[in-house]
Amino acid sequence: MWTTALVSGISLGSFYILIALGFALIFGVTRNFNLAHGELVVFAGYVSYWLWKVWAWPFVLTFPVAILATLLICLGLQRLFARLCEPLELNSIVLSFGLAILIQNTMLFWFSGDYRLIRISTLSQGLRFPGFYLSYGQLTLLFLSLTVIAILYILMYRTYLGKALRATIQDKEAAAQAGINVAVMGTLAFCLGAILIGLAGPLYGCIHYLYPSTGHEVTLLAITITIFAGVGRLGGIILAGWILGLAESFAVILCGASWREMVAAVLLLTLLAFKPRGILGKGE
Amino acid sequence: MKSTPRTHQNFWFPLPKRHSIIFYFLLCLFLSNPSIAETLKIGEINPLSGRLAKQGVEIHQGVEVAVAEANAAGGVGGKQLKLISRDDQSQPDVAISRAEELCAWEKVLALTGGYVDSLVGPIAAVAKKYRIPYVASASLQKELVQHENPYFFRVSRLQGFTEPLCGILTEHLKPQRLAILHSATPGSTELARDLENCLKAHGINMRLIEKFRPGTPDFTPLIGKLAEMKIDVIVSGGFSPDHILLVRQLKENRVCPKAYIGPFGIAYENFIQTMGEDADYLYSTCAWNPGITEPGSEATSRYFVQKFRQMFKGEPNTTNMHGYTSARALIAAMQAVVKNGQTLSGDAIRLALTRLDLAMPMEHLVFDPNGDPLHYRHVVVQIQKGRLVVVYPPDRASGEPLFPMPSWEERN
Repeated sequence: MWTTALVSGISLGSFYILIALGFALIFGVTRNFNLAHGELVVFAGYVSYWLWKVWAWPFVLTFPVAILATLLICLGLQRLFARLCEPLELNSIVLSFGLAILIQNTMLFWFSGDYRLIRISTLSQGLRFPGFYLSYGQLTLLFLSLTVIAILYILMYRTYLGKALRATIQDKEAAAQAGINVAVMGTLAFCLGAILIGLAGPLYGCIHYLYPSTGHEVTLLAITITIFAGVGRLGGIILAGWILGLAESFAVILCGASWREMVAAVLLLTLLAFKPRGILGKGE
Repeated sequence: MKSTPRTHQNFWFPLPKRHSIIFYFLLCLFLSNPSIAETLKIGEINPLSGRLAKQGVEIHQGVEVAVAEANAAGGVGGKQLKLISRDDQSQPDVAISRAEELCAWEKVLALTGGYVDSLVGPIAAVAKKYRIPYVASASLQKELVQHENPYFFRVSRLQGFTEPLCGILTEHLKPQRLAILHSATPGSTELARDLENCLKAHGINMRLIEKFRPGTPDFTPLIGKLAEMKIDVIVSGGFSPDHILLVRQLKENRVCPKAYIGPFGIAYENFIQTMGEDADYLYSTCAWNPGITEPGSEATSRYFVQKFRQMFKGEPNTTNMHGYTSARALIAAMQAVVKNGQTLSGDAIRLALTRLDLAMPMEHLVFDPNGDPLHYRHVVVQIQKGRLVVVYPPDRASGEPLFPMPSWEERN
């Protein structure tokens, strides 16, 4: 039971990381608070589902198309956000809230209100260990999340581009004065965010289910982890995702399933009280 | 030079001025005559968007069938019915404002529709305020009929689920280690409580009762707990998405109880299609389905199915039937009022509803003094090779329950 909770917590936490990374990156670089993030994840899931179910594409091949679809939408979104004036955070909340409703209703119209599930039989098989069973689905989730985190880490901390992105996250004006093209960094953040959303969407359809209105829960999760981590701290997001996943899993075992969200909320509030700059924040 | 007399004759005023005024005055009088232009307005509020959109649309379709059917048969007292639909967006506060709009502005004669108690409850309160009868399509919470609201009626009730579930568990499945999981909604919580009481009265004790939030993203830790406790029968009061996730994760973790019962959200064609062969052996309850109808109502049931197919090019399900039944009840009450020579008013329709006795495919509809349906009762079904088979009660069973369900390894 404990091992199951541990595996489940890490696996779920890894998926949380994948969802939150795109949101945090876009918010960190552009200060655009994208409330339609979850809807885009669900939309990418629907694209994948549609190709897999109607056109009988192999599941793996649906990822590039889902990424391309979200890339196009995100670039359009960036053009919209670019027209906003200060205060950027507040205006982007209003704009993206409207967009979220629009995307939700469009999905309801196109894909109907039926619950959709991408059923890959291989992913439900797995390996039996003493005391627990590790499905290929959980393994895939873990592997994919870790790979994405590793690539993103190398990009952010081992390349000149990453250095420029981090500089923009830390101080936009100073970065611009240092010769960094902040507008290009914004486009890049949206592109990277779109790739992450395009990866998370099909997985979401596979491990969860697709329904037009489930996007807001995904958005809420991404916001929670970003706050938990501290804005602009990618290392914090990884830690926050796993802590949240594990806390939720062990809360079910120790206190009961109804305590799951309560424990996560208490954890977040405690953190905000003692470390308001996020889990890896160094204080004022 | 002789001047041309001034005239107002043109396309809009073809008659001389004085005659035109008289003509248009008479036309206005004619059009405003209530006996000619009036239709009878029925209001309907459903979650047509948001998290309950699927169910809301299904209820709405059922209501539309009933109204179309009544209008095709000449309406009520020779007047056509006009259905005014509103979307509550799956939010109680929106449901209140929509109900206010329909009652105060649209002046509807009665209300119908509604899915889940959190949305039905607020509509019922507004209906009471305006003294307008409301026949809810899908509501279970007992508290709603204990508020002494004489204008509230509904076509479903909790006992309709509890009794057959308790019956099959005590008479057939006889679990040794039973777990009841229920979602944190009023109906599901009450179902869990009532079922526990009924089973305790029959000497069956629960090993685990757990509440979860609808839309929980991961059941794996809970599954670990169920496996550790060696639970042999699971009753899960979640909805379709919860079952989709829970059953899939039971399979992923190779945890296989002897029986899995989901009273809500499993006995649907869409659920079976989504889950594929993983849906086999699951139990659920069902009030009506194209092949499952109240004995003696087969012809009415077939007629509804045909009409539904004609209007929506698809197969109806039990939620559609709930919408249809509630609207039919309302229309039948309105017809009774007209037949008695009374004026159609909220109070007259309410009174007719209290005396209603209507044979429907889903139930023999008679309301008790609180507005609850007296004869609403589900049957227990099991999915066998992708089909719904009635397994309980014995007098309506069309097959034997397959128990215990084979392990996931055996099924692959």
